Amino acid sequence: MKPEIDPHSGQETTGHEWNGIKELNHPIPRVFSLWLWASILCAAILWVLYPSFPGYHQVLGGVLGYSSRGAVNDAVIKGQEQRAEAYAKFAQEDYETLLNDPALKATYQDEIGVLFRDNCAACHGRNGQGQLEFPNLRDDHWLWSADPEEIQYTLQVGINADHEDTRMAEMPPFGRDEWLEQADIDHVIEYVLQISNQPHNAEMAHLGETIFEENCAGCHGDAGHGGYENGAPSLTDTAWIYGSSRADIADTLHNGRRGVMPAWSGRLSESEIRQITMYLMWWAD
Amino acid sequence: MEHAKLERHGMAFALAVLGVAAIGGFVEIAPLFTIENTVEQVDGMRPYTPLELAGRDIYVREGCYACHSQMIRTLRSDVDRYGHFSLAAESMYDHPHQWGSKRTGPDLARIGGKYSDDWHVAHLERPRALVPGSVMPGYAFLSQTRLETDHLSVALSALSRAGVPYSEEQIALAEFDAFSQADPEATYDQDLFVRYGENVQIRDFDGDPNFLSEMDALVAYLQMLGTLVNFDNIDAKEIAR
Ligand code: HEC
Ligand code: HEC
Ligand code: HEC
Repeated sequence: MKPEIDPHSGQETTGHEWNGIKELNHPIPRVFSLWLWASILCAAILWVLYPSFPGYHQVLGGVLGYSSRGAVNDAVIKGQEQRAEAYAKFAQEDYETLLNDPALKATYQDEIGVLFRDNCAACHGRNGQGQLEFPNLRDDHWLWSADPEEIQYTLQVGINADHEDTRMAEMPPFGRDEWLEQADIDHVIEYVLQISNQPHNAEMAHLGETIFEENCAGCHGDAGHGGYENGAPSLTDTAWIYGSSRADIADTLHNGRRGVMPAWSGRLSESEIRQITMYLMWWAD
Repeated sequence: MEHAKLERHGMAFALAVLGVAAIGGFVEIAPLFTIENTVEQVDGMRPYTPLELAGRDIYVREGCYACHSQMIRTLRSDVDRYGHFSLAAESMYDHPHQWGSKRTGPDLARIGGKYSDDWHVAHLERPRALVPGSVMPGYAFLSQTRLETDHLSVALSALSRAGVPYSEEQIALAEFDAFSQADPEATYDQDLFVRYGENVQIRDFDGDPNFLSEMDALVAYLQMLGTLVNFDNIDAKEIAR
């Protein structure tokens, strides 16, 4: 069949006719088909250069030998090297020297803050102010010690965490496990309220004092002053983890407490742990 | 025009369409036959315990995947923030996988062990109480809802038909195992280690010893995510090939 030529435009028609109307056969512009063939060519070239298709034994690796996993491994190692250099001081010098270096805080505090907010803020709050069940890290009340080496160790192994060397700290469930009579518990609660300077029943508190000495002082220190650095807090200050009201303390004594602080060895590098330790020390002073 | 010829021969045209579609099919389907060498050989992977599986079902039911991915991509920013990039082996027992494609919240592929059980429970119940300004919905009802366990054996056997290597014993004792994983007082916890391996975590996950809740299951699932493969003795070269 010979293509018919439209007399007005000089174009070929498709040869179909609808009620006397004919359609011009306008091919798509050449540039589009060139574009299509060029992209097919590019695909073929990339297929040869880069990993493309799983073969029977191994992926067709491509002649460039590129691997996205290899590339990210290299990038991560490079990043670690850069950071090791930028934070060399933290890995090499002891805390004493670091604390006496006034320029350090101004230079690094913001950057290390990112690490703190990514990993610690969910529990201890964005500014380390703590919240119910999670202690304040800004004040000078420490469960274990104010010594940066000890804080570093807490970060590494955690408290009641799943690390094999984790620190253990448990407030026993005196009520639930029936270690103390309910009356004794009521008395010792009043005593705790007394030593923490809160409204209390003096008579009951007096009875509670001996109970405290026999049952609690071993962990919480004489008269609840703490200071043993064994994870048991001082009960005489205003820094409460689980709340200071009579009901909160009753709950602590009945059910016990066993706060879990995760271990960060493995998830954070040793240098990062030292950086965060310094970050906490900057708050403390 | 060439295609005018093709279009005028119905049979030839149909064959040409079939030919082009077959190329597409080949490119998509053929790689599945080589899945064996796509999934890396790593130590530590095991099928989900019944309790973790129940938690995973709750994760799917509640649509957590709509906001959370479980896929650490091969990008430096991802690896720096979330840890080692995800391996194919890590989702080999997932039907379907929970890689997701939306990150309204953070990636959860390695959330296991990052927080405590107490934190997860408190956060799932009232996210804004712990993270001011969070847009994550609260799921307080999970703590009050008793976990359905009677279908667990059937769920395990369905998965075993999809290729997850559950033994007959694991399938038969699924319900029993779900209860013992959340009961630290149970003396038969050794059985769980024998059946599923040493890396099973046995605890009262939601802190409420009175009954087995949906919260127990979900937290058990979150706490094992990304913890199975030990990346210390992995061959980086082999994985990157
Ligand atoms: C899952 C919640 C959680 C996360 C995340 C967390 N912590 Fe803790 N942290 C705790 C709890 C709970 C305690 C108290 C443990 C106790 O009650 O015995 C604690 C205790 C501590 C202590 C000991 C305080 C003292 O008085 O001796 C330090 C230091 C600390 N955390 C720092 C950090 C840092 C730094 C990070 C981030 C890398 C972090 N925590 C992340 C929950 C958490
Ligand atoms: C085995 C050591 C031990 C003994 C004995 C002990 N405690 Fe504790 N107590 C702890 C520890 C550890 C904590 C912190 C728990 C935590 O943070 O998870 C704690 C926490 C507390 C708290 C909560 C403090 C806060 O900041 O919210 C109170 C109140 C308390 N103990 C009172 C007592 C009383 C009263 C007794 C005696 C009847 C007692 N404890 C006996 C170890 C002990
Ligand atoms: C509407 C979106 C949305 C949904 C649905 C959602 N989340 Fe979230 N999730 C978030 C956001 C945003 C955050 C970050 C803020 C925060 O920690 O609350 C988050 C944080 C988290 C975190 C802490 C991650 C980290 O590394 O700090 C966990 C765990 C989590 N979600 C689990 C879940 C689970 C389980 C479900 C389903 C039951 C769920 N989420 C459903 C948005 C969502």
